[in-house]
Amino acid sequence: MSDKIIINGKEQTVDVDGNMPLLWYLRDELNLTGTKFGCGMALCGACTVHINGEAVRSCVTPVNQAVGKQVTTIEGLSDSGDHPLQRAWIEHKVPQCGYCQAGQIMNAASLLAQNPTPTQEEIEQGMQGNICRCGTYNRIKNAIASAAVQMQEVKS
Amino acid sequence: MSVFKLSRRDFLRVSGTAAGGVALGVMLPAGNATAGHSEHFEPNAFVLIDSEGNTTIHCGRCEMGQGISTALPAAVADELEADWSRVTVLQADGDSDKYGPQATGGSRSINTMYVPMREAGASARMMLVTAAAKIWQAEVDDCYAENHFVYNRKLKARLSYGELAAIAAELPVPEKPALKTKDQYRYIGKPLPRHDLGKVVVGERTYGIDTRIPGMKFAAIKHVPVYGGSVKSFDASEAEAMKGVEKVVNIPRFQAPYGSLGGIAVVANNTWTAQQALAKVKIEWDRGPHGGYNTNAYKAAMVEQVEKPAKPVFKRGDLKAAFDAAKVTHSATYVQGHLSHSPMEPMVSLVSVTEDACEVWASTQDPEGIQRTLGAYLGRAPKDILVHVMISGGAFGRKFKCDYVQEAAALSQAVGAPVQLAWSREEDTKTGYYHSTSVQHLEGAVDSEGNVTGWLHRSAFPTIASTFDPSIEWPREQELGAVINHPYGIRNLEVESGHAPAHTRIGWYRAVRALFEGFAFNSFTDELAYQSGMDSLEFFRKLYHNNKDPDQAEQVERSLAVLELAAEKGGWGKELPQNQGLGIAVHYSFESYLAMVVQVEVIGDDIKVHRVDCAVDCGEVLNTDGATAQMEGAVVMGMSLALYTEISFRDGEVVNSNFHDYPVLRTSEVPPIINVHFAENDYKATGLGEPGVPTFAPALTNAIFAATGKRYRSLPIKPVYS
Ligand code: FES
Ligand code: FES
Repeated sequence: MSDKIIINGKEQTVDVDGNMPLLWYLRDELNLTGTKFGCGMALCGACTVHINGEAVRSCVTPVNQAVGKQVTTIEGLSDSGDHPLQRAWIEHKVPQCGYCQAGQIMNAASLLAQNPTPTQEEIEQGMQGNICRCGTYNRIKNAIASAAVQMQEVKS
Repeated sequence: MSVFKLSRRDFLRVSGTAAGGVALGVMLPAGNATAGHSEHFEPNAFVLIDSEGNTTIHCGRCEMGQGISTALPAAVADELEADWSRVTVLQADGDSDKYGPQATGGSRSINTMYVPMREAGASARMMLVTAAAKIWQAEVDDCYAENHFVYNRKLKARLSYGELAAIAAELPVPEKPALKTKDQYRYIGKPLPRHDLGKVVVGERTYGIDTRIPGMKFAAIKHVPVYGGSVKSFDASEAEAMKGVEKVVNIPRFQAPYGSLGGIAVVANNTWTAQQALAKVKIEWDRGPHGGYNTNAYKAAMVEQVEKPAKPVFKRGDLKAAFDAAKVTHSATYVQGHLSHSPMEPMVSLVSVTEDACEVWASTQDPEGIQRTLGAYLGRAPKDILVHVMISGGAFGRKFKCDYVQEAAALSQAVGAPVQLAWSREEDTKTGYYHSTSVQHLEGAVDSEGNVTGWLHRSAFPTIASTFDPSIEWPREQELGAVINHPYGIRNLEVESGHAPAHTRIGWYRAVRALFEGFAFNSFTDELAYQSGMDSLEFFRKLYHNNKDPDQAEQVERSLAVLELAAEKGGWGKELPQNQGLGIAVHYSFESYLAMVVQVEVIGDDIKVHRVDCAVDCGEVLNTDGATAQMEGAVVMGMSLALYTEISFRDGEVVNSNFHDYPVLRTSEVPPIINVHFAENDYKATGLGEPGVPTFAPALTNAIFAATGKRYRSLPIKPVYS
């Protein structure tokens, strides 16, 4: 079996126990610390990354489930930090402590990829799994809505 | 407060560049009394401009999301007429001789640092202007600073700050720098973005948990589940046989206020291995003296206690006569549970202890506390502990206490390498320093005009002081100060306290006692208004107007102003659809004034907050966006604690473990409209990290009462473990 993962476009050879959660593989083995630990039980969303474009909670995803796939973390979401969501996050001044925001952005990115024109309710449903203890929720929702509009404009 | 120039040597050291430049330090009166112009002068805040014009401002206070590392440096930059895009903000290492007190709590940073930081900026600006005048051989009055340049009106010439820095550095520091007037502000009072927003959105902002140094190991810990207990025995053979495991360490309880509770930790080559191995250690605990702690029984016993006469603390007037003459009398008892701070980044630190050095990287609110605690633990001078203050992924008072740092130090000693210890969410939830559970019994007397003539306030709660001295089993008198000195005008007042021994570690939580005091004062006021057949707003007004004490005139005036502002903006008295209600609350804490109007809809068990209007008086607002964000966060945290959050103990152990049974507010329940209105005045700037939280819960429960007639006197409204 192959033991290669493409992480942010770069091939990595997995040389750890395949049961290690992807979160700890990223953070402790690859020093990709943008992905955060919050709960370890898929309850908070802080650790959200993409596997083949889909949001997963990396704290409960064994690294061997990512083998042969493309993993994207916050560090690789865009080339120069200019994904419409990243721009909207700055424009809406979303972060307080900022700790949850990588997970929020990664979750939102996958949400918009699946549903480019979400309603307010769909945004809420899609983001319900991401906790922000600082309480930046309304700004997050506004940022997602404005990024969605941006992305539509670029398309048309 | 005074502003000093740094010696050339200091400039080199802090700027890391040999190029000339100007570097100013600020000395606070509370700082090092021996500091002076000597070679060894160590100022406590830095403003640095090098010959390229690059400007560095050190933030001595700890950043945890409250935005202090933007608000204070921006005030410096404003007075300096610096171009914000040329400014780099650096988080200062722990060194109170240099930076003044760095402990960041009590909403005090802005209160104490705002003016000194501005004066530092203004001094530097004046020196740059003087330097330019010298070069041009012009009058200083013909020169002015603007956005990183000094201009000469007559010559129509300009010089950049970089060109001027070396010359400015030779000039004396102005004695009394002239501060800007409000209309000249460039950044103060504006919605300036956080200085490092760009880093956050690409995952490059480094928190304590993100520290990586060569040779470091990773650790996980399981604490003694009952406060005061210990490890009876443990079998680590299976764990130690695992690949990657360095060592299993028994960390004994360290009997200091911020010392470890004690427990078993595993050091390994990564976090996951440490966690896996820890689960394989078989541990038998000695449960110690608090194994009988049961919060529901404890609260019930405290309620019983405060519904009877307790220990008198304060007395004014003749309460009995007031009650005898009253038209309306009423009593109620309010109850609140323990809270866990639960910041999204759990407790994490990296410590390296060697024979002659100790270096710490920690998300912390109190680097000095780390120096003291590790100094005591290692038997070294606090100054010899080097603390790098890392950005906290939330803290809310929890990261004031550095037990997690002392544990990492013990582990580093045990394995002879730097160790990063990261607590699991379960450990964070189960073995924290909790906000006091509390009960308050209030009795009120109202005359025929709707004036409150008598007020009895009986409180019982385990005190924070018990964490420092377990023999303290009663709230101390100063902890009832906000009750005794409440700005209501009530002639006859009695305050009593009840016996409340602590069975866990009690600690500061965002807003501290104001959380339960604000709840009791505002709920009971609303109840008395209802009992008296009066409108709540009118009833609040009377309570403040009746205070004729000149010493409290400012408090009364400012409380009334935010009350009126919230009422006006929140549409007090407006027609509402069925099942909806408005609630109002006002509270003064940490020298700031808050009022809120909450609009709620209640259908069955479903509580929906449609709108919150916050009126805020924190004096001059440094950063309108930062202040607004603090209020939005306060509403969310206020709603979490009003509805859900409570730490429950059974048989001495915390029952909750993670976000499924310590549920905090999620996005769908957040009020869609949170309006923040600032009072316009010229009072001095005060903090806003905490004062926003206390008013939310009572405004909500008052609104629920208005909508349904149901009164919630116990928080949270929907406890997980009832
Ligand atoms: S850390 Fe993975 S969901 Fe919380
Ligand atoms: S910004 Fe602090 S947890 Fe979301």
